[in-house]
Amino acid sequence: MNHSKQFSNMFVAQIKMMFREKQVWFWNIFFPVILMVLFMIIFGGSSSSEFKATVAVADPQPNASSAMMLEQLKQIPVFEFKEEQPVSKEQGAEWVEQKDIDALIVLPDSESGAALQVIFNKENEQGASAQAISGILDKFVQQANLAAAGAEPAFSLTTESVSSGADDLKYADFLLTGMIGLSVAQGGLFGMVELVDMRKRGLMKRLRMTPANMGLYGLAGMLVRLLLGIIQIVILTLIGVLGFGANLHINVFSLVVAFVAGGLVFNAMGYLFSSLSKTMEAYMGMANIASMLMMFLSGVFFPIETLPAWLQTVPKVLPLTYFVDGMRDGLIYASGVASASFWIGIGIMLLWGVVAFLVGSQVYKSKSIAATR
Amino acid sequence: MPVLEVRGLQKSFGPVTAVEDISFSVEAGEVFTIIGPNGAGKTTTLEMIEGLVTPDGGTIGFGPLTWAKNSEQIKVTIGVQPQSSALFDLLTVEENLDLFATFYPKSRPTAEVLEMINLTDQRDKHVKKLSGGQKQRLAIGLAMINDPTMIFLDEPTTGLDPQARRNIWDIILKLKELGKTTILTTHYMEEAEKLSDRVCIVDSSKVVTLDTPAALIERLTKEREVRLALLDGEAAAIETEKVAQMHASVVRTERDGSSLKLWSTQPEDTLYELFGFTKDKGYRVEQISIREMSLEDVFIAFTGKEWRD
Repeated sequence: MNHSKQFSNMFVAQIKMMFREKQVWFWNIFFPVILMVLFMIIFGGSSSSEFKATVAVADPQPNASSAMMLEQLKQIPVFEFKEEQPVSKEQGAEWVEQKDIDALIVLPDSESGAALQVIFNKENEQGASAQAISGILDKFVQQANLAAAGAEPAFSLTTESVSSGADDLKYADFLLTGMIGLSVAQGGLFGMVELVDMRKRGLMKRLRMTPANMGLYGLAGMLVRLLLGIIQIVILTLIGVLGFGANLHINVFSLVVAFVAGGLVFNAMGYLFSSLSKTMEAYMGMANIASMLMMFLSGVFFPIETLPAWLQTVPKVLPLTYFVDGMRDGLIYASGVASASFWIGIGIMLLWGVVAFLVGSQVYKSKSIAATR
Repeated sequence: MPVLEVRGLQKSFGPVTAVEDISFSVEAGEVFTIIGPNGAGKTTTLEMIEGLVTPDGGTIGFGPLTWAKNSEQIKVTIGVQPQSSALFDLLTVEENLDLFATFYPKSRPTAEVLEMINLTDQRDKHVKKLSGGQKQRLAIGLAMINDPTMIFLDEPTTGLDPQARRNIWDIILKLKELGKTTILTTHYMEEAEKLSDRVCIVDSSKVVTLDTPAALIERLTKEREVRLALLDGEAAAIETEKVAQMHASVVRTERDGSSLKLWSTQPEDTLYELFGFTKDKGYRVEQISIREMSLEDVFIAFTGKEWRD
């Protein structure tokens, strides 16, 4: 029998079946795109642009100190003044109330030792802008005090965020690669429901009555799902880059290694679920639990470091953590395959894959599929 | 030499005995029907023969070939239409046939199969858009794609309307013309009677009887139901009934107004005498019928059960 011809026919047939199924398009393409766009819009905004705060200044009783402070406040680059000139306290308070400005700064009303007052809207008091404005003003006041005492500050703090590779890493990049990892993983976790469906409809039995090579059939199916994964990567990347300005630094080799490893692992997990479930509902339940748990624990949307400390060990055993890391290595950090942590991640993933596959085939064998119809 | 020989087949699923003792042999080119009520063990028997279920006991031989030694050879020479049609819903009719064709080392041309199952016009339709009868025909088409010598059809007409059933019968008769051996299971007596060379009645996991349809009917009691209606009123019918009762071969009579029913072991003789009488009296008779025994009667006689579809 001509194996390569049989294989290519099986492959083509399964491609047709996959792309004719509307559910496949919805869950594997549209759903991840919608999810990514939502997350980008909700969480992507503040960190992708520089911090700016709109403020106004009130100078109820102009004096020498207040004039000097006003001059210096105007030097602070992150403050944008709604009015160049000081406004009345009432006018400023109204703006704060209506959220026209982030804060009203009220200059001291006497030359010596008076307070600098900041007025925020109560609703925004705990927000990032309010915190930042307080911090800046706090430092400003300290410097003013030092200057008044005639001392030069000995230490100063400059803050700069760094990431392991490229220095222009943004949340859009982080989320984009997380979403790619998640959708490829879900493709595998949910994709094997097809096996349950085929078993239920007697197709498995039907194929076993022919001399068809079921190993080839499974392999063809796996390749079709990898193809779907590539389509997911391309579409999500295009949207991330063109729509949200994500920056890519691609290392093809580590990307391919991580992608293939992930494809195998999540397919193997789907295979295990399929061996354990009699109905499609049971399968979907298992796949949903697995995907939900991993989605929030594997650093897809937020870095693992934001989890409570006691929970941080869990992601270290989950395969999706390493898959998403691998995707990030290959797509945005452009880190090669030389690092040990990359291979440890691949190793942990493959361990999951091998165990899931072995347990799955054992369950299939012990159940003797024919008897369970 | 039989092309299929089944001896002492047994199978239990846990506490449930599906097949207790089933033996038969099938000759080349015949249509062999296994008939029996739901749960009689028909499908399990077929699945053991098809190599899907391993029997607990007994032997299955395809001539010299057995599943243990020659499974690949057997798979190539048989074609199976399982009870659940088992098709790829998202592929077209033709794509289904083409895909199955690649599983086999040699196959019958797709166009020829499409013609035989009369789906040439639907070749580009997706399976999920086909009617029940069309799906069933496609399933039979898939069973023929490798040009097998032996074809298994498991309840091919269950749940189909009369026209769709007839279409399937035509295909089975065509297969017979081509010299294929067909093993068929069915619920329908009419179907078994019409299509089969031999019928095997299975009940409660055992073979009850096995023979040609005609011989099975022959083996039943010779009593046949005869019906006739007289046109000259009730009095004439009462008189005729009395004459019939005097005839030795008449076992029982029944009268409803001017219609008579009688059961006779020699219906032709009985009618001859009755016609002599009615002719003498000048009574007019119409609607005469001798009811043929059917497999349904055979089934009831052999199993003591009411037939239910």
